[in-house]
Amino acid sequence: MSLAPSERAPASGTATATATGTPAGRGTPRRTDRARPGRRRLLTRESVPYLLIMPAVLGFAIFKAYPIAASFWISLTTGNGDARQFTGLANYRRLLDDPLFWTALKNTALILVVQVPLMLGLALLVALGLNSTKVWLRPLWRLGVFVPSLTGLVAAGVMFSVILNRDAGLLNWVLSLFGVDRVNWLGSTFWARVGVVLVITWHYTGYNAVMYLAGLQGIPKELYEAAMVDGAGPIRRFVSITLPQLRPILLLTVVLSTIGTLQLFDEPYVLTGGGPDNATLTVTMYLYNNGFKYFDFGYASALAYALALIVSVLGILQVRLMGERR
Amino acid sequence: MSHQLSRRQILHLATATAAGLGLTACGGSGSGGTGGADDGADGDSGKITVWSWTTAAEALRGVVPSFERDNPGITVDVQDLGNPAIWDKITVGLASGGKGLADVMHIGVDYLPGYMEKFPQGLADLSKLGADRHKDAFVNGLWPTVIGKDRAVHALPWEVNPLGLFYRHDYFEKADVDPASIASWDDLIAAGPKIRAATGAQLLGLDKPGTTQDMDFFQNLMQLQGAFYFDAEGKVTLASDEAVQALTVIKRLNDAGLLADTAGQGTWKRLVGQGKLATVPYPAWAIEYLATKFPAQSGKWRVIQPPAAVPGGGRSAIVNSTFLTVSATSKRRKAAWRFVEYALTKPAEINRMFASGGVFPALKGAYADPKFSAPHPFYGGQKVLRSFVDSLESGAGATNFTGDYSRALKLASDAQSQVLIKGADPAEALKAAAKQLAQQTGRQQAA
Repeated sequence: MSLAPSERAPASGTATATATGTPAGRGTPRRTDRARPGRRRLLTRESVPYLLIMPAVLGFAIFKAYPIAASFWISLTTGNGDARQFTGLANYRRLLDDPLFWTALKNTALILVVQVPLMLGLALLVALGLNSTKVWLRPLWRLGVFVPSLTGLVAAGVMFSVILNRDAGLLNWVLSLFGVDRVNWLGSTFWARVGVVLVITWHYTGYNAVMYLAGLQGIPKELYEAAMVDGAGPIRRFVSITLPQLRPILLLTVVLSTIGTLQLFDEPYVLTGGGPDNATLTVTMYLYNNGFKYFDFGYASALAYALALIVSVLGILQVRLMGERR
Repeated sequence: MSHQLSRRQILHLATATAAGLGLTACGGSGSGGTGGADDGADGDSGKITVWSWTTAAEALRGVVPSFERDNPGITVDVQDLGNPAIWDKITVGLASGGKGLADVMHIGVDYLPGYMEKFPQGLADLSKLGADRHKDAFVNGLWPTVIGKDRAVHALPWEVNPLGLFYRHDYFEKADVDPASIASWDDLIAAGPKIRAATGAQLLGLDKPGTTQDMDFFQNLMQLQGAFYFDAEGKVTLASDEAVQALTVIKRLNDAGLLADTAGQGTWKRLVGQGKLATVPYPAWAIEYLATKFPAQSGKWRVIQPPAAVPGGGRSAIVNSTFLTVSATSKRRKAAWRFVEYALTKPAEINRMFASGGVFPALKGAYADPKFSAPHPFYGGQKVLRSFVDSLESGAGATNFTGDYSRALKLASDAQSQVLIKGADPAEALKAAAKQLAQQTGRQQAA
């Protein structure tokens, strides 16, 4: 419960006036304080929370809200340097007729549909393993699983470009031990996509596994004990207890992974440069090319807005489909 | 549960993250060019910074002591930003109205026209500082590139890379192929199987999937015919007869099994090191590069003028070039210009840089130095530098890169990959690429 200004201890000036026994001491100072808001104290129980969030709000306004608004304006214009002409929705119309945009979108969607379920399924399996008390040296395994996500994205891309090299790569050498012919990982449209999926899965599975592990450890043991008393087997316990209890974390990882995949840039940029023949070109890579290689900022901004719209729609859909029923 | 995100929070998170990442990538940049030249000043003393990369930066540092001695009051800090990082840094600086840029910037021909076109206020007008008097000091084909739409000079040429064909002399001998008989790529394609049979080496390497978009070879084959992606008026010529001929040569090399795939980190270097490539159609910078990277192959390499793309056609081409520019927002434009002029128009300085960084000079006066006629031990005593100078003097034409070069490069690279990986028809692939290039840039296609 906060105190009204009139209920607080008087400021020192008021106290002095009262002590000297001037007419002001007959209760008037309170009204005077109310009538002069400039003398209110800055730090009150109501104002402190606002002051505390002020840096974040300012940061958001300057570094997020302003670029978002400026970018929208730029997406409606075309031109060089300062000389920008308003062209309305021309950039958005151009986007609809641009085969490379649709190729990039198709590639991104393909990676999303294949990679995210694969990675999250794998992460869940890994988390279940790491959560088991029967696993020996658990901290070591957990560390091993999480370490790839600490690797820089570009470093991961460079490393895999060496591993996936057709002639001298580690992976083809390992495959050759089993009599498998050399795979042209980065030189064929199909295998290049597989290569990108491999890198992302390697990089983010551990990250998601750690999130699931935290979720698993938050499930009360009593639920399992009660289920076992009722005769539920491991699969039944997994389906009826583990999955429902993990739903908030599952939703979080699905949404975050979806956003991450839609914004995929570093790995394919380093690994394949979007090739061969645009097989691994992603929307953000195309956005980057338009902005920073072709200096076409209006079109790049339109691409950014198109991507934001797609992410929002997918996010809403996922939350509606997977979110808790109320 | 307290750790659980609400539906609303997740939606906010999703939207904010997506919008944030995508838009901050572009946000603010489009309003670029604010102020431009108005923000700079013609100070002629103080500290100037210079942005370059790797060996070129090292070479520029070599000029600093004598420059500072001859120009008291000016100090120079040469910074090596690395390539390609330097392009993002310059682009972002120009897009934000020139904030944070160095006083002097080293820029390649693949970026310079784009910067001049897209950021017309970004690079200082050097004509005002007296750059025009150096017009005839540089080799043909470079001056048109430094002129902006305002007809003013915005850069001074530093490096020029004439094309040559480096070849394994020992392989040609073993296969009984006379290098003097190689006048066109037809001749080389005919000799390729003999060389391969005798040595096991393929003729040359190319990044077939186009991971690096290294289209120099395709461009060279066009430049040898006096053509490029755009004509002198800036019209799209990516589907021209010359372009189709260039891609057809590449397809024929590939179909004959003479083209090694060099995609992937370090693959080309490994193949050359293992002696699996018989020729390297590279520009002049490769002279010292080959000599220092493959010392074990000393004496085995030679250079000839590049074979013509069509029988009887031209045999000289400028692959690319680099330039020094002054930022319009520099507070010390005069001091910066003095450094540029000092470094690039004095034969002694330019040759000092050539000796330390291997940057082949564009300044004609530099070629009088005896080193350009000296035999090179790595090339069996051949006077390799002289052959490149001769190539330049035989008249390579100007190439109009335009502000849309990067987009053209991307589409040409896609077309080449389609031909090499999917067996597409060169004419069809280029026709589609040219159509898309015209559509995306608003340029007309040449008839």
